[in-house]
Amino acid sequence: MTWLPALDRKLLREVTHLKGQIATIALVLASGITCFIALRGTYSSLEWSRETYYDRTRFAEVFARLERAPESTARRIEALPGVALVQTRVAKEVSLPIEGLDRAAYGQVISLPAHGEPATNALHLESGRLPEPGHDEEVVVLGSFARAHGFGPGHRLPVVINGTLRNLRVVGIAQSPEFVYAIRPGALADDPKRYAVLWMDRTVVASAFQLGGAFNDLSLRLQPGASEAGTLAAVDRILSPYGGLGAIGRKNQTSNRILTGELSQLGALAGMVPLVFLGVAAFLINMVLARLITLQRTEIATLKAVGYTNGEIARHYLGLVAVVMVPGALLGVAGGWWLGRIVLRLYEGIFRFPDLVFRLTPGLVMSAVLISTAAAVLGALFAVRSAAKLPPAEAMRPPTPARYRRGLAARLGLGPIAGASGMMVLREVERRPLRTALSSFGIGGAVALIILGHFGVDSLNNYLEAMFRREQRQDLAVAFARPADPRVVTQLASMPGVITAEGIRAVPIRVRHEHRMRDSVLMGLPSQATLRRLVARAGHEVPIPDDGVLVTTALGKILGLAVGDRLEIEVLEGDRRLVRPVVAGFVDESVGLQVYARTGVVSSLEGDLGAVSSALLRVDPSLRTSVEDQLRRSPRVIDVSDVAADVQRLRDMNGAAMDIWTLVSITLAACVIFGVVYNNARIALATRSRELATLRVLGLSRAEISSILIAGLAIEVVLAIPVGLFLGRGWAELFFTRAVDQETFRFQVLIESRTYLLAALVALLAAAASALWVRRSLDRLDLIGVLKTRE
Amino acid sequence: MRQALPLQEPDRQPQAARPILACHDLRKVYRMGEVDVHALDGVDFTLRAGELLVLLGVSGSGKSTLLNILGGLDVASSGQVFFEGRDLTAADEDELTQYRRHSVGFVFQFYNLIPSLTARENVALVTDIADDPLEPEEALALVGLGDRLDHFPAQLSGGEQQRVAIARAVAKRPPILLCDEPTGALDFRTGILVLELIERINRELGTATALITHNAPIAEIADRVVTLADGRVLDERIVERRARPSELRW
Repeated sequence: MTWLPALDRKLLREVTHLKGQIATIALVLASGITCFIALRGTYSSLEWSRETYYDRTRFAEVFARLERAPESTARRIEALPGVALVQTRVAKEVSLPIEGLDRAAYGQVISLPAHGEPATNALHLESGRLPEPGHDEEVVVLGSFARAHGFGPGHRLPVVINGTLRNLRVVGIAQSPEFVYAIRPGALADDPKRYAVLWMDRTVVASAFQLGGAFNDLSLRLQPGASEAGTLAAVDRILSPYGGLGAIGRKNQTSNRILTGELSQLGALAGMVPLVFLGVAAFLINMVLARLITLQRTEIATLKAVGYTNGEIARHYLGLVAVVMVPGALLGVAGGWWLGRIVLRLYEGIFRFPDLVFRLTPGLVMSAVLISTAAAVLGALFAVRSAAKLPPAEAMRPPTPARYRRGLAARLGLGPIAGASGMMVLREVERRPLRTALSSFGIGGAVALIILGHFGVDSLNNYLEAMFRREQRQDLAVAFARPADPRVVTQLASMPGVITAEGIRAVPIRVRHEHRMRDSVLMGLPSQATLRRLVARAGHEVPIPDDGVLVTTALGKILGLAVGDRLEIEVLEGDRRLVRPVVAGFVDESVGLQVYARTGVVSSLEGDLGAVSSALLRVDPSLRTSVEDQLRRSPRVIDVSDVAADVQRLRDMNGAAMDIWTLVSITLAACVIFGVVYNNARIALATRSRELATLRVLGLSRAEISSILIAGLAIEVVLAIPVGLFLGRGWAELFFTRAVDQETFRFQVLIESRTYLLAALVALLAAAASALWVRRSLDRLDLIGVLKTRE
Repeated sequence: MRQALPLQEPDRQPQAARPILACHDLRKVYRMGEVDVHALDGVDFTLRAGELLVLLGVSGSGKSTLLNILGGLDVASSGQVFFEGRDLTAADEDELTQYRRHSVGFVFQFYNLIPSLTARENVALVTDIADDPLEPEEALALVGLGDRLDHFPAQLSGGEQQRVAIARAVAKRPPILLCDEPTGALDFRTGILVLELIERINRELGTATALITHNAPIAEIADRVVTLADGRVLDERIVERRARPSELRW
């Protein structure tokens, strides 16, 4: 120890003395770094994987679907300014009657060029090889589907292609940038067992669908700096005569849109959550150092008297920050690496990348350490500045005694109720309103974190519950391969086991008003619909008008529509009519941007006889399997889906992720609350030991003086809980409106009472644990020693 | 309003008054590093009902240790302490708390008031938990601070603070008052005022009072003086005529 300068030895001894406080602050700091590294690291790992994957596989920037266009059309598109690469394909829906599945899986078959790699959207082969040109039974299968069924190359796969059952041979298992998140169109959640993507040789697919020399799917890469909007418009113009369904940019490509949405949520969390911890750590460091410096006024004076400079003294106390930082950073980086890998593994189950690893980059560690150091130094700065500025002579004098006033509590006449010991507690709180506020805010922040970690699942469950109970009351939804004659609904209704059948018409449209435009769906619902109803977020049913269209409120706002306006609708199928119905009203829905009308209105807009694209059925539970079997055998039916099963899967998926989040948020929040209460209690004990000992001498029991000490802390916690609940709700709203794409989801942020209860309970338990920990010191209070010293 | 102290000849305490607090062969050993320090080394001592006793001794003589043990703040290494015939050495933590709560009033050198409570509230701290206390206002009037009820300690002079401490000590009407150097932090004039107050309380309320001091002239206001040195009773004498505090000089 002799090699250490005396001032550093003093620091070391103080560290030993303050070890409990230093440990808890280091823990809070570590929690902040853990969150930062885990969230930010997951974010950048996903982003890095996405960018490299998209780049390597030449993921397209423009996508278009159409009825059928001759291959020569592609050359016109290639010639458009800004277009770099064009890939035409044949892509069609298929079904896979897999043995052991209660319902056939739904799939898409996509063509691969006969020779060489696709110009865009190349596959990443996990195993096996691509199909040989002309080998009509060879197929490459999406990895998630193959894994869900546990097969690999060599396996035989039954596939119904254009009404014909074929027994294909799996030659390869692949991933694709188009299906990082693989979800059946229209489904609520991914279902790897029931959603397949198959890649086959172009000539084979084209001949199966009579699309030889033609294509029905197109993807493009653009040159740097090319205008996406311009290209989309040009592509639409070229494809319009060929039944173009409207080109979309990469941001609206399903998989990419969901991935980007998730990344933006993660990015927002990574920005918000660590701030709470770092803010609290800064506050705690400030509080502990300020106390230490007050206690050591005479020591500071002595140091100055013997010639230490202000800088040396400031550095000495900042040394304490270093002592907190080093273990905090080590623990935080290790924790972040550990938690990050867990979080990433959660994402790995949802998003499929060929090489997704948690990347703990030096830059990430550096920024975590720098940000937390900045927070810690900021916390220390004010306290240290006051030490450095203390004139030696003043420092030699005892600090001015604290000034108390009668205070609000006494003026409100609480004196007789609170009693003398109660007044001690209240005056202490009143004397340090800022510290009380900051402590409460710190604890409140932790409470809010728990709510933030849990509100998503509450809101989603609430939405699903509402949707299931009120909006979508069918047991089965039947999707037809192409719009069917309305009489099919009557036929379905007469099937044994079917209680009710209603037909729905969904038409892809592009809506315009003035200069604003969006792609949407026009839904035709029967006038007496009972299975699919429109229910506003507020809970009331919105009737569909006899004339005109009903527009989702969010879409109305985007387009600047008012009731009575004429909305321009371009139908993106058939003969691509342009119609201008009147807006009859709005419906404030939670999801998507839709336009609704009566089936009759839609058919008159479409100029057909009221074809239906899907049917909703309510079925007798005992005959459900036979109804499903019959439906699947029909060549006109492309898919039969079960909303209840979809919802359950979505809940399970969210539930698993949420369990981990809940555990993590509770652990980290408990660290913060423990840290705040423990440090406050230690400081209260240090500053008030004389008072508390006096009370013991006067005949108050240990329990009585403990209750005085604990009551002060309890006030902070009790104030913090409503602050936290309020803050949690605010953050949830903020997070939801900032990070979640409002054009897709507008759930009402709903936090269940049990989530509030959980958050409050965690706060109370963590606070009680730390208060009890400190209470042990009260038992060791030196009654005699404190009475011998002047305050 | 400050009350005038009636200046009368103090009553003589009859020697036959019953012992209220007594100790026998009291020893207290502190371990200081490698050596044992005998703070009390076989003290026999009695405090009688109603008497004013001064424990005189230089610093380190063991008088504070004795007072702490008598007051239930500390426990002896060996020997016995009896309060009204009950053995305090056998008392546990809770019993000692109850003893301090109901039977002993303390006055300290540095007052030990709670800075966040007013004079009235400092006294109420004790009256809130005592069985048959004086009203805080009454106790403060007794020490002449009836007009300073709502002042905080920081707004009072040293002497006034010590008087609040005395009011706090006597408000529970304890049978025993223990004063540890009550004038130690005060100037001469204020010290005399505080002694007058203690003497008057002893006389008017009949509270058995043990007053510790290193200041020999103060012993003259006592009925009896016990001198301690090196942890033993060196001398014990009865004062022929209790002096008035105002007669003291030091």
